Amino acid sequence: MNNLENEKEIAKSIRKAAILKNWKLFKQSRLGMVGLYIVAFFFILTILQPILFITGIWDEGTYHPVVGYVDQTQDFLIVECPKEFPTEKYEKRSDCPGRKEVNIKTLFYADGEVGETIQLNLQPAPPSRDHILGTDSLGRDVFSQIMEGSQVAFLLGILSATLGVGISTILGTIAAFFGGRIDAYLMRQSDLVLMLPTLPLLFIISAFAELKIWHLAVVLGTIGGLGGSVITIKSQALQVKVKPFVDSARITGGSQMKILFSHVLPNVAPLALLFMVFSVTGAIASESVLSFLGLLNIEMSWGLMIYLAQVEGYIFSGLKYWWLILPAGLSVTFLTGGFYLVGRGLDEVFNPRLRKR
Amino acid sequence: MSNILEVKNLTMHYETIDGDVDAVKNVSFNVKAGESFGIVGESGCGKTSVAMSLLQLQAENGKISNGSILFDGLELVGMSENDLRKVRWDGISIVFQGAMNAWNPVVKIGEQIREAMREHSPESSKSQNTLKINELFTMVGLDSSVADRFPHELSGGMKQRAIIALALSCDPKLVIADEPTTALDVVIQDQILNEIKKVQELLGLSLIYISHDIAVIAEMTDKIAVMYAGSIVEIGPTEQVFKFPKHSYTRSLLDSTPSIRGEKKKLRSLEGEPPSLINKIDGCSFSPRCPTPTNGCKNQSIEMGLVKVGNDHYADKCCSECTSE
Amino acid sequence: MYKYIFKRVYQLIIVFFLFLVTSYLLFDAIPGNAFQNMLLNPGLPPGAYEQVLALYGLDKPLSERVVLYITNFFKGDFGYSYKYFPKTPIELIAERLPRTLMLFAMVNIVSFYTGFLIGKILAWRRGSKSETWITITSVFSYTVFYPWFALMMLWFFGYKMDWLPIGKFLYPEKWYDAPFDSDVIFVLMIKFVVIVSVIQFLIYMFTRNIESLNTKRNLRFIGLILNIIGSFIFWNTGDALTKKLYAMDIAYHMILPVFTVTVVAFAGTALLTRTTMMEVLKDDYILTARAKGLSQRRIRDRHAARNALLPVVTSFIFTIVTIIDGSVLTETIFSWPGMGQLILDSVLNEDIPVAMATFSFIGVFALIAHFIADISYAYLDPRIRIQSQG
Repeated sequence: MNNLENEKEIAKSIRKAAILKNWKLFKQSRLGMVGLYIVAFFFILTILQPILFITGIWDEGTYHPVVGYVDQTQDFLIVECPKEFPTEKYEKRSDCPGRKEVNIKTLFYADGEVGETIQLNLQPAPPSRDHILGTDSLGRDVFSQIMEGSQVAFLLGILSATLGVGISTILGTIAAFFGGRIDAYLMRQSDLVLMLPTLPLLFIISAFAELKIWHLAVVLGTIGGLGGSVITIKSQALQVKVKPFVDSARITGGSQMKILFSHVLPNVAPLALLFMVFSVTGAIASESVLSFLGLLNIEMSWGLMIYLAQVEGYIFSGLKYWWLILPAGLSVTFLTGGFYLVGRGLDEVFNPRLRKR
Repeated sequence: MSNILEVKNLTMHYETIDGDVDAVKNVSFNVKAGESFGIVGESGCGKTSVAMSLLQLQAENGKISNGSILFDGLELVGMSENDLRKVRWDGISIVFQGAMNAWNPVVKIGEQIREAMREHSPESSKSQNTLKINELFTMVGLDSSVADRFPHELSGGMKQRAIIALALSCDPKLVIADEPTTALDVVIQDQILNEIKKVQELLGLSLIYISHDIAVIAEMTDKIAVMYAGSIVEIGPTEQVFKFPKHSYTRSLLDSTPSIRGEKKKLRSLEGEPPSLINKIDGCSFSPRCPTPTNGCKNQSIEMGLVKVGNDHYADKCCSECTSE
Repeated sequence: MYKYIFKRVYQLIIVFFLFLVTSYLLFDAIPGNAFQNMLLNPGLPPGAYEQVLALYGLDKPLSERVVLYITNFFKGDFGYSYKYFPKTPIELIAERLPRTLMLFAMVNIVSFYTGFLIGKILAWRRGSKSETWITITSVFSYTVFYPWFALMMLWFFGYKMDWLPIGKFLYPEKWYDAPFDSDVIFVLMIKFVVIVSVIQFLIYMFTRNIESLNTKRNLRFIGLILNIIGSFIFWNTGDALTKKLYAMDIAYHMILPVFTVTVVAFAGTALLTRTTMMEVLKDDYILTARAKGLSQRRIRDRHAARNALLPVVTSFIFTIVTIIDGSVLTETIFSWPGMGQLILDSVLNEDIPVAMATFSFIGVFALIAHFIADISYAYLDPRIRIQSQG
């Protein structure tokens, strides 16, 4: 009994040393580290929001990304915009009305004459001390929305990636090991999934199913898991299958299940891990695109922020309302990029030929 | 006869994430024109690193920190990459270990040889090059149709011969053969060795032959250097070193080689392993395994260096003082 | 060997069949149908809605409809579009396809070439500071949020600077009394691009075996100049001359979408090339090439890049497969009415015949592309080539 315990201890310490070595290698990769910092940054944003709410630093009534509202008013000078430009006061059409001015033609809910000042709601509000990134047209704090979007992105990404990789690993290993009809069936199934165009497929599914975060994660995970990755994992598993130690394991009486787990999985794991990281990028991107097109039922996400901005016509306003457009777009870009870079870094850890030294 | 190659105090290390590995420590030797010089030692003793350093072909993280390499009067250490490129292949060429992978799989053999020719003698015409290639092939025992084949169409032996032809294609003065026959069976090995000898005599080449196989070295070389853990422990004319080995390591190497003739004696193999070159080693690196250590060795504080022990025969200072059997 | 091919083809047919059934079921699962908007009309006579449904066979049960559709499909009858009646799906596809092809042919050529070049250089300069940051920038270019980026481009170049048109592929005013259909022009442009590319490729192939490097380079340069002169002559004589203005109009509209998609697409190729090259650089023959005294450039291009080409070309072919899928977003944002928009439209309007037809088109396209990928891989890698011959 003692021997067995010792063995387990030794195995554990070997594993620990291996993980440490891998971490050292990962640190070497500049790409991987940059990616890691970016992902860490967004992760901090993710946990920051609940903390701010729980500790009361932020009042939920004001700062909640979906239902928060803050009353912000400002004095506006009523002007009448001329028909032709340039004039003495304004150079281009987009200069009128200016920052603190309002065109009398757009005043529907209030009365006033040209030259008077009037108090109006300032939504969407530009960044201020209270709201680092300003508010959107409904008075909701943009920074809070970014953090909420970060939560959605992480949740969705990791959930769908785990599901997808889990499915493809199991299917790929089964295909490699049992061969024959099961293999043929699984390969054809992958072909079928590969043939379906992704985006239209997602459109169709969103048309007949109300897609919330969990649902979308399951859908993305399943589609990803049943697709081309099965083929790649199968070929990796096949490489293990032909190694002599598998035969010797079988001869010495190891059950097939045991062989599967203790030999094949560790070999396939690096590839699966890589897939997982890259799946996250795909999932976040898909969600953003679908939200942007208004097809999802998620309360708040980065894609949704841009969707609202577009629908309300702020996109072509240029840099005037930048806080409605830039933060969300940049967040999607950087978080997906960050995960991708981490994947590249992992690539260097697992594939010795890619390392620098 | 003058020296075609003079290596003095060559020191080279590799920078790795676990630390610096001293691969070549203060190595010095000379090769005369037309001479066949052998370097023998265990795997990892630094012989390939020495070969690579001569042409500055070592891996990216390998740095030469000291020493000089004089080839035909030219100082190679510190030479610019552009100048080095002219020396490569034209002056010194290499027959690599594992010719299997030395060939680009998507380019025909003939084209790969032509490429080298074009680089170093751009004025020669296509037909001149073709003629030369055919000559070379005949010399190494290959059919001229090989030039039109892709590498994977050839057997191991053929690929190795082709590599020799490639190495000779620009009329080098010095050819380094790094374990050229390790991956081949003994019959082909014998053939290839004969080819090399024949070619060397024919062309008057200088040859540096690197191997861990003592028997092959004995057959092929005029002068020999024995390396251990990055330094030369014994160097001298092959016959001398074989007949009168002075260093314990050389003796152990010879003792562990069976001989067909002579008395039957028990093979004595060395225990232990070569030391890890990451840790700086003070004094004699062989002392942990030496079967005949002196008191000084144990302290590992002796200054190492070669002393003369015979005609043109040098051995590491420590072991020249070891009691010999 | 034949048995294997036969088995594969047989499996392929079964997969395609399942594909059709799955697609149909998916489309049917969408609530409502193409004609439900009729019900919003208060002046609709009673029974008219049911009549229309019966006319299109939409009142039959699902199982019957599926069987009906599949049998008709294999007979070659794809039905009529619900929305654009009486156009058949084939007509619609024929109309839209050249537009998408033109756009994405340009994108793929440019992005593949640039991506390969950049990836090659990145892998070669591994470890330098500039390499790291260019790679990271490429990654962000690859993962940029596409709709957002495309809108930004549109806003900047179209609206703010007013250099390029916002959407659509032509100025309707210019085409008012044009004697040609836009399809004709598109087809002409596609032919032109294909011919130029093929000629360039042939020049490359013919000069492959020339011994001297300088002559090779000069010949290729001359070939390029001849190609440009030839194109010039082509567009200024005869038939093409009359169409030139219209072609230029289309080309002008193409600039912005092509540029936007290229920025995103090149990065994918660049990163793949970089990774593949990095692996190749560890191979022994690279060491041999260095030992031979070859210049850095030659080693990089002739030896490393040549070997890295294989996986990159395969991925390029798979990218072609996803052209239509990828074009959905671009065409929507740039109002470029091509295949992508057709799919999106047909899905949203539940125009089942058109939707099924486009899906089938994509499916067949994917299968053919896989096949071509297999063949080209065998051609590029002589090891496989010999094996399949012998």
